[in-house]
Amino acid sequence: MALSGIQIFKMLPKKNCKECGCPTCMAFSMKVAQGALKIEQCPHVSSEALEALSEATAPPMKTIKVGTGEGEYTLGGETVLYRHEKTYVNKTRYAVSLCSCMDDATIDAKIAAIPAVDYERIGERMHVEMIYVNYGAEAGADKYLELVKKAVATGKTLVLGCDDVEVAKAALEIAKAVKPILNGANASNYEAMNALAKEADVVLGVSGANLDEIYDTVAALEKAGNKNLVIDATGASIKETYANAVQIRRAALKDQDRTFGYPTIVNTSKLAVKDKYMQEALVSLFTMKYGSIVVVDELGYAEALPLFGLRQNVFTDPQKPMKVEPGLYPLNGADENSICLTTVDFALTYFIVSGELERSGVPVNLIINDAGGLSVLTSWAAGKFSGTSISTFVKENIEGKVKSRKLIIPGKVAVLKGDLEAKLPGWEIIVAPLEAVQLVKFLKDMKEAGEL
Amino acid sequence: MTLFERVFNGNDAVYGLTEQAIDAAIAQHGEEKAVSFPNTAYCLPCYYAVTGVKVTNLKELKEALGVVKTLMTREPRLNDAFMSGVATALCAEFIEALKYIDGATPYEEPLYGHLADAVIRELGVPLVTGDIPGVAVILGSAPTVEEGVALVKSYQAQGILVTLVGGICDQVAEAGMATGANVRVIPLGKDVTAVIHVVSVALRAALIFGNVTPGDAKTLMEYTMQRVPAFVNAFAPLDDVIVACGAGAIALGFPVITNETENIARVPKSLIVQEDVSKFNATSLEARDIKIKITNIDIPVAFASAFEGEIIRRGDMQVEFDGSRVDCAELVHTVDASEIEDHKITVVGPEVDDMELGSKNSIAYVVKVAGKNMQPDFEPVIERKFHNYINCIEGVYHTGQRDMQRIRISKNAFAAGFRLKHIGEVLYASVKNEFEAVVDKCEVIIYTDPAECTRIRHEVAIPTFNKRDDRLNNLTDESVDVYYSCILCQAFSPSHVCVVTPERLGLCGAVSWLDAKATNELDPNGPCQVITKERPIDERIGEYEDVNEAVKRLSQGALEDVSLYSIMEKPMTSCGCFECICGIEPFSNGVCIANREYAGMTPLGMTFPELASMTGGGVQTPGFMGHGKHFIASKKFMKAEGGIERIVWMPKELKEFVADRLNQTAKELYGIDNFTDMIGDETVATDPETLVEFLTEKGHPALGMDPMM
Amino acid sequence: MPFNRKPQKFNASIKEVTIGCGEKAVTLGGENVYPFYSFDGEITNAPKVAVEISDMGVPEVAGLKAYYEGCSTMAEIAKRASEMEGADFVCLRLEGGDPNGANKSVDELIAVVKEVADAIDVPLAVEGCKNVEKDGELLPKVAEALQGKNALILSAREEDYKSVGAAAGLAYDQKVGAESAVDINLAKQLNVVTTQLGVKPESIVMNVGSAAVGYGYEYVVSTMDRIKAAALSQSDAMLQMPIITPVSSETWNVKESMASEEDMPEWGPVEERAISMEIMTAAADLACGSDAVILMHPQSVATISKMIKELV
Repeated sequence: MALSGIQIFKMLPKKNCKECGCPTCMAFSMKVAQGALKIEQCPHVSSEALEALSEATAPPMKTIKVGTGEGEYTLGGETVLYRHEKTYVNKTRYAVSLCSCMDDATIDAKIAAIPAVDYERIGERMHVEMIYVNYGAEAGADKYLELVKKAVATGKTLVLGCDDVEVAKAALEIAKAVKPILNGANASNYEAMNALAKEADVVLGVSGANLDEIYDTVAALEKAGNKNLVIDATGASIKETYANAVQIRRAALKDQDRTFGYPTIVNTSKLAVKDKYMQEALVSLFTMKYGSIVVVDELGYAEALPLFGLRQNVFTDPQKPMKVEPGLYPLNGADENSICLTTVDFALTYFIVSGELERSGVPVNLIINDAGGLSVLTSWAAGKFSGTSISTFVKENIEGKVKSRKLIIPGKVAVLKGDLEAKLPGWEIIVAPLEAVQLVKFLKDMKEAGEL
Repeated sequence: MTLFERVFNGNDAVYGLTEQAIDAAIAQHGEEKAVSFPNTAYCLPCYYAVTGVKVTNLKELKEALGVVKTLMTREPRLNDAFMSGVATALCAEFIEALKYIDGATPYEEPLYGHLADAVIRELGVPLVTGDIPGVAVILGSAPTVEEGVALVKSYQAQGILVTLVGGICDQVAEAGMATGANVRVIPLGKDVTAVIHVVSVALRAALIFGNVTPGDAKTLMEYTMQRVPAFVNAFAPLDDVIVACGAGAIALGFPVITNETENIARVPKSLIVQEDVSKFNATSLEARDIKIKITNIDIPVAFASAFEGEIIRRGDMQVEFDGSRVDCAELVHTVDASEIEDHKITVVGPEVDDMELGSKNSIAYVVKVAGKNMQPDFEPVIERKFHNYINCIEGVYHTGQRDMQRIRISKNAFAAGFRLKHIGEVLYASVKNEFEAVVDKCEVIIYTDPAECTRIRHEVAIPTFNKRDDRLNNLTDESVDVYYSCILCQAFSPSHVCVVTPERLGLCGAVSWLDAKATNELDPNGPCQVITKERPIDERIGEYEDVNEAVKRLSQGALEDVSLYSIMEKPMTSCGCFECICGIEPFSNGVCIANREYAGMTPLGMTFPELASMTGGGVQTPGFMGHGKHFIASKKFMKAEGGIERIVWMPKELKEFVADRLNQTAKELYGIDNFTDMIGDETVATDPETLVEFLTEKGHPALGMDPMM
Repeated sequence: MPFNRKPQKFNASIKEVTIGCGEKAVTLGGENVYPFYSFDGEITNAPKVAVEISDMGVPEVAGLKAYYEGCSTMAEIAKRASEMEGADFVCLRLEGGDPNGANKSVDELIAVVKEVADAIDVPLAVEGCKNVEKDGELLPKVAEALQGKNALILSAREEDYKSVGAAAGLAYDQKVGAESAVDINLAKQLNVVTTQLGVKPESIVMNVGSAAVGYGYEYVVSTMDRIKAAALSQSDAMLQMPIITPVSSETWNVKESMASEEDMPEWGPVEERAISMEIMTAAADLACGSDAVILMHPQSVATISKMIKELV
């Protein structure tokens, strides 16, 4: 059971020394309780308190870091099974699968295709983050090492899928500087793999014939002092893999079984061999249910657009809604003479409103100002979508760019009309319908009436 | 002759006729002859609904008549009269069924006779949805054709389904009125027995829409009573047969309204004498508790939320009313239903036409309401909506409330024909629509006569406001039987449940116990639910078994238990909308409170947003709690930890806002004068050390209290 | 030491609702474990896949045109849809009724409904045009026209649950789809008032709101997660109705599925994007508890039904 801030506070020396960076011990305690700071950051904490607290405040699921530099990703560290209980913290990462069993031309083509997907969506860069480099034993060690070299050259973060200790050793020689995951430990080789991973200081991936075997291997590795692990949950079938992924996460978070408190890898390339569409279904399924890294054959735009959208939604903090950047968004080829319409910066509102505006086909300048990422009525009630905030934004950012002096405001804040008319001289303030879905007709009617 | 005797006589007469008719039919066709109504799966629907037995031929019909006879007991008791009424109805069904033997078509246009199942399914849907608000059964001949037609049309205009039996059928035909199911006026037949065809509709509706098991007479009658909003208008003269039929209608829950005065006994809510036929409509609707939805407000300008933000400037203004300068008031007043004429709007004093352009005038409007579920506690809730209602009128502007409202009417609105009586129309329609659950009748009186306005303001409104304020001040958690939940915020804070009590309003500051109570009455399935508090666990911290159960249920199991008066033990959760957060400040044994508007640092070492991030989300955080501003002066504010004496710091602005009430509470509870002077603020300290120095200097009581943890 | 499994078994279960008649009738719900948690207990009825067709005919999508090639009437389209690999039932969307669109008359749409119903032997769901006033008029007529078919009528909403619920659930004995907007309390409230109307809980299927992934989909996830939790762990009878989620009507209307290749050359073929959007949204819906999804493209239907079979 997690400790409350008060319980932590009681065990501190209460000096208010500020050396931890917090103004008071109470503030520090609350942040430790939230998991934002670690108890070790208190310079004055007694060793007994430290011991008692580190055990109690240790997260049920480890946070594992892989990769380096910009490609360093944090996996795991989750505290809840459902996002509404608090929030998910570290998003699923996707790896494109390469195998030394592929011919060179295929490999080169796949590597060449990886950088193609790279775009921004609501402030987040979307691209292929990882490559899964699979060892196809029949192609031999050299071919694999060649492939590892090529993969390192992409600059992407790597997962080395190789359970042959010797080959893995050679591969690590090539790749260890980029901090890949060595996904190769199992019941029969874990001691040797552990030595390799430790020596190269990389994360070790553990797999097994079934959950019990995985459990025992993880326990043995922990006993050998390695807690820098991930678990490969991929089983013989889709059904088994799903059962693995769910039960591993559930054991860690709900039943406090720390042995399973590690991030997981799910390899859909193995579950749905060469079945692109099934892989699409599975990558979505395992994003929802507990894959920390999901491996796929292909991640072109067709896959990326929905997948990254899904991930961005699922991993958003329920307490902090997604926001779009304030600014002027011309839609349907709007120019400086097109009518203006404003709404809040809450991402969902923005998407719904811009979607309806696009459907209307009417050129509109959509104006978004900072409304705290809240919905229309909420931000209005909080004073963040007010006559003052809208008029200030329009004067500072819009009047110089747009000649139209007609501004449509959301129907739910019709009450702002008078205030806006007073604060925006020369502008005609028009009240839109209550729901976004009525915008298409509203704009078409305005157009027919020649009011645009 | 008593009413019982009349019912029994009428029943006996119909029974005799039925027996003869069945015997004659058997003699003519033989026992095996099939009897049925066309296009129904329910055989003889009324008999089937009441007994569960299907009658298919004359032999079974004769047996059924034997069963009917057993209903005809003759003790002078209410139940005997009702059962005889039902028996009369069943006899009528048998007589009508005989008319259809051999596929005969006894009814010709425009008369309907028996109605097919398909018609019932079609009419049943709008009946269930309330689109057909009621079913009128008009029986006999109106005193004149004009009166009859006027009555039918009055119902038709309200969307009520009208069925006609007897002479009224000829009367509407004579007047050339269009009839038929599509215009919701259905002439059934000229014999009194044709009334069974509408009873058949009601009973089949119970079987189809109510899932009532045929033969379960008790549930059947409950269904017709509660769900079929039918009533009977029977014109004089009433013979015994009609009286017996009326008893059957009353047994099904349908009141009978008649203009017969001879030899009739009045039964409240059931048998009502209304001599004035023009008032049949109002009397019937009231008796059957039918409310007509107002879909269209009859005013010469638009009424929509799009006009809510419209501001009328001085130059565009025809007249204004200003409570800050002259006597004005707006008031909802609960009265008995008998004191109200629904939809009456009166203007006492000059209309806008008689006022000088640009002048400042008095206005006082009193909205009288009555309703079975109306309580004076809802008056302020309704009143607070006046601002929205009046503001939604195109060209009319409203601010303020109680006796400080200001209204402007624009020149354009005036030119379009807008007058003060239209404010009455708007108030009437809006109150009736939005508060349908509690307001049955509504009347508006608008005073503009200055002397009357002065009288209303000082003799009626202000005493009412004072009484309400007293009531609010005297409402304590102990003085009420129930609390209310509020889960409005669950959309973004899924496990949060506010428990709203008289002394602890919702933490957003917007939902008081009275608001929650009204919300619950108006929308019983809505966000505010009743929480009982009958099983206390710990009075000190305010923990109740029933409150815990409610919180657990409403949070879908996320929260097991809460206390109402402690911030250390099982504190109430916070959603994120809180006006303030209080947090424990261990060095002074007290709590600091920060309000949302305060942007600076607190002696806790955390700002409001930092506090908010750890307190919100519907999670219990001992030592920290969100709450409304008004809760600060409550005697229940962290009562378990010693109450408001624990408050050691607040931002200056907040302190000033709550000072009067907080000082008063401190005086009452602890005998401390000017308590707020002892409380620190950001001008004194934003760190615990300086704060403790300040508190020591002032002798703040918290320093001497037991540690909070 | 072996892994200590702690299955989550619930005493409560999702109610079973059967749509259609005869051999091909389908039953939604019945499970007493979380979505696809077959390791906790048996999944009583696998989630189902419906194929969406529209009164407006086959959309201008090459793969759809190819699949429905040669179909010139709604009857033929419906029949072909019902034979799609992986399809359990057909959902007819009456989008042509939208007063802001084609604004077809109720009579015209009822004729389509009858034509479709007569052409197929699988169960039928009928979805309105989303316009509340029109649906309030149209859907009761649909319920009437489909007497004896045990069809699912989508949807009764807060605004029109009385007319749709009374017609579908009471007058004509169909199944009622109760549609609310991604909020557990609204979903529950609608079920409460619909049952108060007299509709049996066993006749209600919920549509708790849907979205394409990327478009506020987090609300869909949390709403469904919370409903399933309340239904199973809290035994909340007013949330135990099975959930149906229209997927295609959302996913085919977002930019990712509509922007042409000319406008977005780097995005590649539009149909592939739309299929991918449909598959991923459907898989996510099923992962958070949908008992049925409505899809349009044959590839999506085949893939998702195969995924369901693999998981159950």
